[in-house]
Amino acid sequence: MTTTTLDTSAASLPRLDWPFLFAALLGTAVLVALVALDGQLASAALILGGFALGVAFLKTEFSFTAAWRRFLVSGEAGGLIGALLLIAVAAMAIVPVAALVPGFGGAIAPIGPSLIIGAFVFGIGMQLANGCGSGTLYTAGGGSGRMLITLALFIVGSVIGSLHLPAFLALGGIDPVLASNYFGAWGGLAVTLASIAAVALVIAAIARARGANVMPRRAILVGGIVIGLLSIGVFLAGHHPWSVTFGFTVWGAKLAALAGFDFSGAEFWQWPGPKRALAESILSDTSSLTDVGMILGAMAAAAATKPFARTAWPPARSLLAAAIGGLLMGWGARIGFGCNIGAFVGGVASGSLHGWIWFAAALGGCAIGIRLRPLFGLSRE
Amino acid sequence: MRLVYALVLILGLGAVVADHLASPSSGRAVSPEDFAGACAPCGAPCPSAQKK
Repeated sequence: MTTTTLDTSAASLPRLDWPFLFAALLGTAVLVALVALDGQLASAALILGGFALGVAFLKTEFSFTAAWRRFLVSGEAGGLIGALLLIAVAAMAIVPVAALVPGFGGAIAPIGPSLIIGAFVFGIGMQLANGCGSGTLYTAGGGSGRMLITLALFIVGSVIGSLHLPAFLALGGIDPVLASNYFGAWGGLAVTLASIAAVALVIAAIARARGANVMPRRAILVGGIVIGLLSIGVFLAGHHPWSVTFGFTVWGAKLAALAGFDFSGAEFWQWPGPKRALAESILSDTSSLTDVGMILGAMAAAAATKPFARTAWPPARSLLAAAIGGLLMGWGARIGFGCNIGAFVGGVASGSLHGWIWFAAALGGCAIGIRLRPLFGLSRE
Repeated sequence: MRLVYALVLILGLGAVVADHLASPSSGRAVSPEDFAGACAPCGAPCPSAQKK
């Protein structure tokens, strides 16, 4: 009886959700047209690159958060190996082009307490929220109301983090360590790929020792390669590796400024990059362009396959975890120079040592976040 | 939840378009890393520059 009811109700719903599919495509077209009218074809490419990333993430269900959790809880390595494959694909272009072509640069960051503390806090947040920076974008875009709350608090946290970052930088640190600076463009690429292979071997050995699966699922392999190639496209259009969280900081600061908050006394917002981003159009910021494209791409992909956002809201405790997780991720991303994309993927794929340090610190934070999940009614698995 | 999404989508896209039309836009989209002295994706300066 139950089965019949479910089948009938599912059959009565359209597979294709026209209103949201149309809205996502129209929104993308409007934004592409706006930047194209200004003659900014690279900006149009970044929006479309973000759109494709949103589709790719949603269709392959590529997830850093779940992959890290599975590795820590049961030793399962497939998801992590998939992420390393993504980074290796991106590194093939990013390391040599950033080193050899004027106007291009890799994702770098200082190494010090700020990086470690920020990444650790981010790791706690990503397990509570059940998604990282890219995960928040594609799941919120894909119809998860819970992740809309994470996104909102992610934005709030990143603005708070922007106000705290100068104090954390004052704790000290060293300048970025970039492989291509020591070994040249191709030597730097070889060292970067070797470091990725070495970490993959360690992860695989741990998985085997724990009797867990090592090989990624086919969807993860496809996702790793496709998202890696799209990352190269975003890099070529934006001249820097794909990043996510700076866009959130700009959106939040613009909203706060609209509400009357004065950023003129905030050191972060006096640095040339953030100052320009706050003053100029959101569509002049590379990370905002890919972020908006990614939300709309995930929305289009979700609405093209099933009724959009028809699930019920989760329990209040789960929503609280989403909010706290978003806040911690936003703050941690600003203090720790990015998320899984800007710091881990972008950093390692640029041959920057900070990417690996961010990974280790965030993995430690994840271990804490996983222990906290049951407090909010979330599974540790 | 669909109503919430519809509202967020309309308000979000409206805000982006309004911000674009009301703000200056001086050429190619940039990252904070494009600026001299930037040492991180957010445009933070290098520790060596801060010590000077």
